[in-house]
Amino acid sequence: MAKTIMTVDDALTMRKVISFTLKGAGYDVVEAQDGVAALGALRSKPVDAIISDVNMPNMDGLELTRQLRQIPAFSRTPIILLTTESDPEIKNRGRAAGATGWIVKPFQPDQLLAVMSRVLPA
Amino acid sequence: MDVSLQQQLIADLLVESFEGLDRYDHELLSIESDTAGPDTLNVIFRVIHTIKGTAGCLGLSHIQRVAHTGENLLDLLRGGGIHATPDIIGALLKLSDALRSMLRTLEASGSEGDADHSTLIDLLDRLQEPLGEVEPVTAPQSASPVAKEEPIRAPARAMPAMSSGEAYGFFDDEPASVAPALEMVRAPVVEMAPTSAAPATSDVAHNPDQPVRSAAEDSAIRVDVAHLDRLMNLVGELVLARNQILQKASLGQDTTLLSAAQRLNVITTELQEGVMKTRMQPIGNVWARFPRIVRDVAIDLGKKVRLFMEGKDTELDRTIIEAIKDPLIHIVRNAIDHGIESPEKRLAAGKAEEGALVLRAFHEGGQVIIEIADDGAGIHAEKVRARAVRDGRITPDQAARMSDRDAFALIFLPGLSTAEKITNVSGRGVGMDVVKTNIERIGGSIELRSEMRVGTTLRIKIPLTLAIIPALIVTAGGERFAIPQVSLVELVHIDGSESGHGIESLYGAPVFRLRERLLPLAMLDRELGLVPATEGESADRKDSNLIVLQADGKQFGLVVDDINDTQEIVVKPLSKLFRTLNCYAGATIMGDGQVALILDVLGLAQRASVLSETEKHAGASSTTAAVIREKLLLVEGGTGSKLAIPLRVVDRLEEFERSSIEYSAGRQVVQYRGGVLPLVPLSQLVPSVGEVGNTTDSVHVVVYSTGGRSIGLVVGQVSDIVEEESGSRGEPDGTGLLGTAIIQGKVVDLFDPVGLHSVAS
Repeated sequence: MAKTIMTVDDALTMRKVISFTLKGAGYDVVEAQDGVAALGALRSKPVDAIISDVNMPNMDGLELTRQLRQIPAFSRTPIILLTTESDPEIKNRGRAAGATGWIVKPFQPDQLLAVMSRVLPA
Repeated sequence: MDVSLQQQLIADLLVESFEGLDRYDHELLSIESDTAGPDTLNVIFRVIHTIKGTAGCLGLSHIQRVAHTGENLLDLLRGGGIHATPDIIGALLKLSDALRSMLRTLEASGSEGDADHSTLIDLLDRLQEPLGEVEPVTAPQSASPVAKEEPIRAPARAMPAMSSGEAYGFFDDEPASVAPALEMVRAPVVEMAPTSAAPATSDVAHNPDQPVRSAAEDSAIRVDVAHLDRLMNLVGELVLARNQILQKASLGQDTTLLSAAQRLNVITTELQEGVMKTRMQPIGNVWARFPRIVRDVAIDLGKKVRLFMEGKDTELDRTIIEAIKDPLIHIVRNAIDHGIESPEKRLAAGKAEEGALVLRAFHEGGQVIIEIADDGAGIHAEKVRARAVRDGRITPDQAARMSDRDAFALIFLPGLSTAEKITNVSGRGVGMDVVKTNIERIGGSIELRSEMRVGTTLRIKIPLTLAIIPALIVTAGGERFAIPQVSLVELVHIDGSESGHGIESLYGAPVFRLRERLLPLAMLDRELGLVPATEGESADRKDSNLIVLQADGKQFGLVVDDINDTQEIVVKPLSKLFRTLNCYAGATIMGDGQVALILDVLGLAQRASVLSETEKHAGASSTTAAVIREKLLLVEGGTGSKLAIPLRVVDRLEEFERSSIEYSAGRQVVQYRGGVLPLVPLSQLVPSVGEVGNTTDSVHVVVYSTGGRSIGLVVGQVSDIVEEESGSRGEPDGTGLLGTAIIQGKVVDLFDPVGLHSVAS
C-alpha cells in the first residue's frame, strides 16, 4: 500500500509542487495549509510522514512539530521541515522541536524524493 | 514536470503572489503610518519568503533572486537588527513593484523576462548594513522586543557550520556541538509560548485584525471564476424553468404537482442565493491597492494624506467589483489631486497638516453604498457655474438660479471634465463623466456633495449583483418588456377621461403634468417602431399607463399599454449583433417560455431624446416659479369640483369604513388613535363642492389639527398634491374659503382652515 505523506504549507503553489512530485513517485499525499489545519486532519487520519513549511500563519512548523511529538502516535513519525538558507538557526530550533530533518527551499524534485526515500524506506 | 502542469502551477503562483504583494504593500504602509500590528513584519516577510520559495521550485530564478535579497533585508528587519527607515520602506515598495512587473511579464509571455533589477538588489543589499545611529523612525512595536535575542542570533548567523550550503539534511547526522546554543534558544520559545517575540514562532501570535480572516481561510477553497460563472448561468436557467413549472402547476388541478412545484420554488430561491454568495467578494480586495496609490499620488503632489477605510468586508458580486475598480481609483486620485489641499494651505486654513481620505462601504436597502470623502477645500460651486456658462452649457440666467447641488452635478457632464482646470491642477486621464457612465452601466448612481473648506463626498450606489434583477414587466405594441426596477420612480395610471388633459403637447413634444412638473414623455410602442409614429394622437388613447423613470439624474415618463407584474428576471446578454441597439440591456425568458427584452432606460431615453428636453422644461418651469409656492392638497367633493387645502395643516390622509362611523351628540365621529375624531363633511363647510354620496363602503378623510384638536374632513376623493402657481388671498370671511389659487392652469378655491375651526367648534 502506498505510503501517505502530508504536506503543510500556507502557499498553495508550494503544496501543489510537493504534492505533484510525491504523487509522481507513488506516494499518497494529503495537504494542510498551516499547523492548526494539519493537527486537525492528523487527529482523524494519521500519515506516514510530514513535510512542513516553517513559516506559516496560525501555527508554524516548529510548533506543529512540538505538538505532534507530544502525541504518542506521532512520536516517531518522520517530520521534515522546509527551511531557507537565510535562516540557519531555524534548523537548530527544528532539531530542538523534534523534527527529523530539513530541506532548503527551493529544492529540486529529486532532492525531495531522496529525503523521503531515506525517512520512508520501502 | 510536464508543460501543462508547470503552466498550471505558474498560474497558481501568479494568483497567490499578486494577492500576497497587495497584502505586502498594505502592511508595509501600515508601518509607515504607525498603525502596524505585532504580526506586520512577519506577514511581510512571509509574502516574500513564499514567493521566493515557490518561484525557486518552479525554476523562476530571476524572481527567486530578487525575492531572496528582499527576504534577507526583511529578516534583519523583523529580527530587530535594523529599523524601518523611510529609505528601507521605499526600497521594499520598489521590491514589490519589481516582483509585480516580473510576474506580469511571466503572465504575459510565459517567461520571467530579463529586466535588470541589479540596482534594486544592490540597494536592498546596501540597506542590510546596520547604519549605526539611525533614528528608529517608525519601527513597529513588534520589532523591538526581539532585540534581546540579538546575542543568540548573532553567533547563530555566523555559524556556517550549520551546513547552510546543503540542500537537505537530517538532524541525526549532525554534530551535537550546536546543543548549547540550542538550549539558549529553546528556553524563551517554550516558555513564552504564543506571545514569544522570537521571529520564527511569533507567527503563532494572533494579529488582532486577522483572526476572522484566518478562520475563514481554514475552511476556504479556491474556485475558478469560470466555474462560478457557469454555475450562475445554470441557476439562471433553473430559475426560468422554475417559473415555467410554477405557472403551469398553478393553472392545473393537480395538488401534488403544485406542492412539489412550491418546494422547487423555495429550493431554487435558496440555491440562487447560495450561488450568488459564492460570487461575492469583499470590497477590501479592491481597496487593498489604495494605500499604495494614495501614498504615491500624495508624494507626487507634495501632499500629506491619511487613508481611512471602513467596511472592507462589505461584499459585492465580483463582476461589479471589477467594474467599479477603475472608477474608484480615479475618484481617489481626484480627491487627492483636487480635494485635499497642500500642507501649507491646510495649516493656513486651520486644519491638520495631514488630509483625511475616507473610503466607506456598507449595505443599504439591497444596494451597496460606497462613499469617498475628503476633508479638503470642497468645490467652489461658483467656479463650476462660471465654467459651465463659459462653455455654453448653461445660460448665465440658469446659472444664477441653479442650486449648488445642481451646479456640482455639472461636473459629471461630458466635456466639462474640465473640473480639473477649475481647481487648477493638471488633468489626469478620464473625466468624471466617464466615471459616472461606468457606474451607471452597472445600474449604479453617483452623487456629489461638497462644502467649501469642509470637504467633498462622493456617494456611489450600486446593486449587489447584475445577474438576477427585480424588474417590472410591461406590455407595449403586443410585446412584453422588462424594465429594471432600479430606474423606476413611480407608476401613474391615466384613465381615458383624464388623458385628454393629462398629456399635453409642448413644442410638439408630449409632456405630462405630474404634481406641477412637466415630465417629457416617450411612447414605448412608437419609440420601438411597433406602431407607426404618426398613428393617432396621445389624446386618443383610452387608458394609459405612465411609468416615471429615472436616467442620468433626470426623470421622464414612458407610456405603455399595460403594466403586468414585477419579477426577478435573469439577465441574458444579447448577441453581439444587437450591441448597437442601445435601448436594450439584454433579454430574459418569461415564465411562459417567451423571450422579453430588457429595456436600457438610459439608452431608451437618449433615443427618445427626452433627457435634454427635461433640462429645457425644468429651466422653463423654474422661470415661472412664483415667489411664494405653497404645497396644496387637492380634494374633490361630491360633484367632482376641486378644492385646495394648504398641505402644511394636513396631518394625515385616512380611509375609514363607513360602518365605523358613530354618532355623538348628533355629530359624526370615529375612534381614531385612542381618541375620538369628529368628522365634518366638506360640503357642510363649502356647499359648492356638493355632498359626498354614501354609496361607498368607506370614506376618505383628511385629518388635520387646529387649536390643539384633530378634525377629520370628509371628502369625496383626494386627488393630488400640487404646488400653487400663483393666487390671491382674502380675509377669512366665515365662508370657509380663503381665496383662490391657480393650479394646473385652473382656478381652484383655497380652503380656509381657520374658518373650519370655528365651524367645527
